[in-house]
Amino acid sequence: MYSNRFAGLLALVATLIPVTQIHAQEMDHSMHMHHNHAMPMGDSLAWRMAPMDGMTMPMMPGMMDDIPDVGAFLPGFGMDVSMYPEAKPSEIIDMADGDTLHMDASLVRRTINGKEYVMMAYGGMYPGPLIRADRGSKVIVEFTNNIDMPTTVHWHGLRLDNAYDGIPGLTQDPVETGESFTYELKFPDTGMYWYHPHMREDVQQDLGLYGNMLVDPTEEGYYAPVNREVPLILDDILVDANGLFPYGEEAPTHALMGRFGNVMLVNGITDYNLDIQAGDVVRFYLTNVANTRTFNVTFDGARIKVIADDVSKLEREQFVSSVIIAPAERYIVDVYFDEARTYTITNSIQAIDHFRGIFVPETHDLGTITAAGATSEDHAEAFAEARTNEDTIADIDTFRRYFNKAPDHNLRLTIETKDLHPMTMRMMEVDTLYFPPIEWNEGMPMMNWLSTGEEARWVLLDEDTGKKSMDINWQWEIGDVVKIRIFNDPSSFHPMNHPFHVHGQRFVVTHIDGVENRNMGWKDTTIIPVGSTVDILVDVTNPGKWMAHCHIAEHLHAGMMLGFEVYERGAGPQVGR
Amino acid sequence: MSILRYFGSLLVLAVAVLASPTLDADSSPSEATPACTTVSSPEYYEIELVTTRKVPGARLAKGKGEVTYVASPFGISVSESGSFHVNIDVSMSNVRLDDDNVLVAWITTPQLDQIRALGILDENLRVSGQTDFNKFLLVITLEPAGKEPGAMWTGPVVSRGMSRSGLMHTMAGHGPFESEPCAVYGY
Repeated sequence: MYSNRFAGLLALVATLIPVTQIHAQEMDHSMHMHHNHAMPMGDSLAWRMAPMDGMTMPMMPGMMDDIPDVGAFLPGFGMDVSMYPEAKPSEIIDMADGDTLHMDASLVRRTINGKEYVMMAYGGMYPGPLIRADRGSKVIVEFTNNIDMPTTVHWHGLRLDNAYDGIPGLTQDPVETGESFTYELKFPDTGMYWYHPHMREDVQQDLGLYGNMLVDPTEEGYYAPVNREVPLILDDILVDANGLFPYGEEAPTHALMGRFGNVMLVNGITDYNLDIQAGDVVRFYLTNVANTRTFNVTFDGARIKVIADDVSKLEREQFVSSVIIAPAERYIVDVYFDEARTYTITNSIQAIDHFRGIFVPETHDLGTITAAGATSEDHAEAFAEARTNEDTIADIDTFRRYFNKAPDHNLRLTIETKDLHPMTMRMMEVDTLYFPPIEWNEGMPMMNWLSTGEEARWVLLDEDTGKKSMDINWQWEIGDVVKIRIFNDPSSFHPMNHPFHVHGQRFVVTHIDGVENRNMGWKDTTIIPVGSTVDILVDVTNPGKWMAHCHIAEHLHAGMMLGFEVYERGAGPQVGR
Repeated sequence: MSILRYFGSLLVLAVAVLASPTLDADSSPSEATPACTTVSSPEYYEIELVTTRKVPGARLAKGKGEVTYVASPFGISVSESGSFHVNIDVSMSNVRLDDDNVLVAWITTPQLDQIRALGILDENLRVSGQTDFNKFLLVITLEPAGKEPGAMWTGPVVSRGMSRSGLMHTMAGHGPFESEPCAVYGY
């Protein structure tokens, strides 16, 4: 699909090396002035005050001159933006069983809100190409790394062979700049999936390395009829007057709450619009690729029916007023636009103003749907019906006898801190009076920005063994049905919601806070609210060495991950039986 | 780092340390707890009902409101505007009522500008309802039996409690912000 850009890239990387080796100690502190003052940066890569959009609270005394203990880093910084190829909108790549796709990751030029940035792209596209294939098929992706960092590609949600899961150090070596790796993908489950890097995704994914995989059903009538099918990838990115806000070089910044963006992107753009006809029913395939932001998506009064979860249809389609989608989750929703008008897609949340101690309604306009004329095919009647999906129910039925079993593993989500700024410690202690179930907004930009994985270590604590994070190596066998009870400890230093992702397997959420889930779908990622206990039941089908982790990019790099190994039947210790 | 900046940071640190005896440089997870097979609603969001000691027969009343998410395909439930949508299961004890009165549970905002009846407590002194207020008070009042709750309670308050989010309070004019011109920020 792409020509070999390796030679040109080598020259580019050689030029970049001096830029990316800037360290915090070498930065121009004279640029740091009072937070209310403009800080002209010129053409230099230096830390500047984290953007505090919409915040009216004063800066913490003693913190206004501080910077993170890592170097500032921006891929491609200092280069002439025009030398990079302009990225193009995503294309659909229909792939038949056995087909091969050649795809690279490269530095590209993107224009966001009228400003040009050096960003990253799969296949030169934003988002990356949408790989479309039938359930049951297998395809090959010949991947080449043409960015200036090592990378891998993780095929999120696919129950594929372990060797192609894209985990550096576990399933493969990092793909260095100029190197290639061949991934073999298989699609056992209908639905929408996505791919992204599994190295420094706080940088690479944030800069545009993400794309969807749509697995079509092979059965007739699997979904109700609709007029249009549209992927919507939700994202945000952090910019200020000087451009993209730098990333931490040696480790991510924003380790406490993750890096919230201040510019919302839908399918990579800020002015998303879809033209349809009044009376159309549109099927949206929603994917949240943001580093940390959970969205609450509404369609301006249009009726919404959620039909499918990450890895399967729901047991029962359900009408909802909004769609809550955490990082890495996907939902398939049908939306009925009955009037000829413009509908605004919004993210509607109740932000927290820590200074005043109040909730503040906050709405981000994500895009528009322009409905005109009249639909050519009326699906209103089919839309009005919330179908019962007997195939999903039958699939889950075989697992119901395990719903109330004792947990095989008890996991506590918590955090350990070391050498955080004293004022951050103090303010966070005061703030432990209340933590919301979901942290919808960036309420403490400065304190969050200053924290790195060195000061904040997010922990998955196995309460049965006392082991933490990657010291955990659960051992299961194919055919096991494993119940994991996950408790998000509200008494930890900074509790917040975590989207918990299990690689290579599928699971259902059976209980939240002891209340049985009455409408399940198979998932690979689920949100764990603060203070809550969530029981998940894992259908262990896929052998190999895998990971489970929080999908907030900065939390992953701050240690919030564990390992588990799945053996062939009879080859490993039996649990979950 | 300049000397002035260093000195300033030291001063702030000293004030912060003096302000609280519990400052630790490090924090670690608490001790592991034994596994259990059942889970109840989260203690974190549980509302303790505190008696007003003003109502005969209920001066020693105890009670709580258990808060869980309304069922949703997304795990948690949120309204169109982003407010959490929760179930509240109220239970009371240590209350003796005559036949002429009932207990009624109410949900209200801290400003009391919106008040909604959750319902009449049954013979077991329990009632369940829902709310999408993010920050609210749970109020139990004594009302005449045989009447449906109106727009506002009429009888005396027996007990009251506050949602966890009620613990959020303004930092304006306090601690590290006390030298800030709060009028600038609306205070």
